[in-house]
Amino acid sequence: MSSYNGKLIRLNLTTGKSQVEEIPQAWLKDFLGGRGLGVKYLYEELKPGVEPLSADNKVIMMMGPLGATTAMSVSRMALVTKSPLTGAVSKSIMGGSFGAFLKFAGYDGIIVEGESAKPVYLHINKEGIHLLDAAELWGLDTQQTHDKLREKHGKATQVACIGPAGENLVRYAVIISNLRCGGRTGVGTVLGAKKIKAFAVNSSGPLSLHDADGFKKLTKEIIEGLRTSPGRIKMSDFGTSFLTLGFEKVGIFPVKNFQEGHLEGVEKIGDEAMAEIKTKNDGCYGCMAKCGQVREVSGGTYDGATSEGPDYETIWSLGGNLANTDIGSLIAADSLCDKLGMDTVSTGNSIGFAYELFQRGIITKEDTDGLELNWGNHDSMIKLLPKIANREGFGKLLGEGTKRAAAHIGKGAEDYAIQIKGLELPAYEPRAVKGYGLILATSNIGASHMYGRPRDELAGKKDKLTEVDKGQDAASAEMSQATQDSVIQCAFSPVTGFNAQQRSELLVMATGFKEFGDPAYVEKVGERTLCLERCFNVREGFNRKDDTLPKRMRTEPLQNAGPATGQVFKNLDGLLDEYYDALGYTRNGIPSAEKLNQLGLGDVVKDIEKLTK
Amino acid sequence: MSVRVKLPPILREPSGGVGAPEVAGRTAGECPESLEKRFPGFKEVLFDRQGNLLRIFGIYLNADGLRPIELDIKLRDGDEIVISNFLMGG
Repeated sequence: MSSYNGKLIRLNLTTGKSQVEEIPQAWLKDFLGGRGLGVKYLYEELKPGVEPLSADNKVIMMMGPLGATTAMSVSRMALVTKSPLTGAVSKSIMGGSFGAFLKFAGYDGIIVEGESAKPVYLHINKEGIHLLDAAELWGLDTQQTHDKLREKHGKATQVACIGPAGENLVRYAVIISNLRCGGRTGVGTVLGAKKIKAFAVNSSGPLSLHDADGFKKLTKEIIEGLRTSPGRIKMSDFGTSFLTLGFEKVGIFPVKNFQEGHLEGVEKIGDEAMAEIKTKNDGCYGCMAKCGQVREVSGGTYDGATSEGPDYETIWSLGGNLANTDIGSLIAADSLCDKLGMDTVSTGNSIGFAYELFQRGIITKEDTDGLELNWGNHDSMIKLLPKIANREGFGKLLGEGTKRAAAHIGKGAEDYAIQIKGLELPAYEPRAVKGYGLILATSNIGASHMYGRPRDELAGKKDKLTEVDKGQDAASAEMSQATQDSVIQCAFSPVTGFNAQQRSELLVMATGFKEFGDPAYVEKVGERTLCLERCFNVREGFNRKDDTLPKRMRTEPLQNAGPATGQVFKNLDGLLDEYYDALGYTRNGIPSAEKLNQLGLGDVVKDIEKLTK
Repeated sequence: MSVRVKLPPILREPSGGVGAPEVAGRTAGECPESLEKRFPGFKEVLFDRQGNLLRIFGIYLNADGLRPIELDIKLRDGDEIVISNFLMGG
């Protein structure tokens, strides 16, 4: 018995057929599951140069070996594809409950390929796998889609779906499951291009485990520890909103499209203000932290608006980044983005880009459908959201992401597109926390806050502002994140409550694979995954030139940012050398044959050598 | 009342590298005042502009509390205050 079902659903939307196939056991051992396994499938099955929005692209939805067990915060789902925003590999992790119930139904993942001629959705239950007509779902928002599918298949139906943004090919569309979202870099867009609206599953647990008694005993111990864990309690009480005031104070919280680091009135969108309008907690399957904060606005323009969130990233993207401290508008905008199925980080960053162009006179009301894009103007921000999702007027351009929008606008707009590899930056100012800046620059999926965290820097054990001796830390953080995303465990360690040794014990008791009992073996999976992602990108033409930071960070001193005031990112080249050395890559950012062989990726050597000769 | 205050790495910059200074304080709230006197600029890091404790920090008594303590809690001689920080990113 094993927590792995060892099977996945391969859904071909061109033929309308699905088949169940075995997952090679060697791949499970080498890549664990989740992100690692998803990247392995993507590398093996996608030819270089595939257009991300064509039938040839694939979306791989994969669970981890601990998913749907009683361990804490491990039932999330990895989404892997080639991004329509970056043209690079894409990974994101979706919360909610859909993945757990997919495992209960007997499958560890779904590979979606081809392209349907008409809107469809996939329904999985004990009778089988059914591809059904989605004509009546197409055009509905994500909440309406959940409601409709539960009306049809029963209240217990677990759903993951796209919204109008995905249908309309906004390049940063996401998938929503309950109130949780996944898919930075446009996974929802790829599904929209394939015309698959939703996935629904009806099933029930539990899973069979290799050593169910041992697993139960260890999980119980871990849960006992979590009951009194200050970090877990902090997450339950506030979610990540508690970070806002602390980060703003040290210049990490970017303001006005990264022009400065100080937000007047930031406390109006700080943790205390958010806690005052909280109504309840919500969260993922099998997580006692329930870090999702459901909040409701009472009074004012946005009276009655309710949302699960916003989290720290969204407080920034639709708040501080636009110099917006109106808490009601933040709740309303967060809710709208979820219903429309758009990534709040890229949405807010793209709007901030437009506000700065407006500030500088590069665009005017004639370009923005008459909207005044002044800093702090939340009314215009709210009006832009459906315009982006429906690709109407000025919104159509913003739905392309900042890199493409800037190229279209010209007039120097490129200087204000705050993106890396085409993915918009999250809520971290690279000039105020240099190790994080290095991770944003080197991330294979573009500027993601979920690609590794420099914990020593954030905790103050290392100076945030120095630009030497940070390559190894960045490499370690990225490898560790890749391991976590393959297990899959929540990125917030205080929520999972287990350490590397306990993780290994849980993996052995769940799967029966003795190799997983060695924490070093498990950590190696992260390095292998990171390296294979890099190889995917090399095959697509990426190299050192793409591991960079926006021009602003490299040339403009940071303004009004507390201890980080005046900072410029000067030594990116030196840090890149350190980072590549730490990972065994060449100075052009390409994995060496020696490293590939060492990681058991010998099959990839010929691909890379062919490209680099 | 003399109590020891264990500081997280991020607060050791304003304390000049001292990890667990001993300070006077009848309540938990008086400890940051004592620390400010000894290490000028200390409170600037610990509190927001309104003078509230930043929630990236938690103050615990003798490391055995389920919840962070209130600043008006009375201290006993020999108590140990632990300040934790939660700058994990999000």
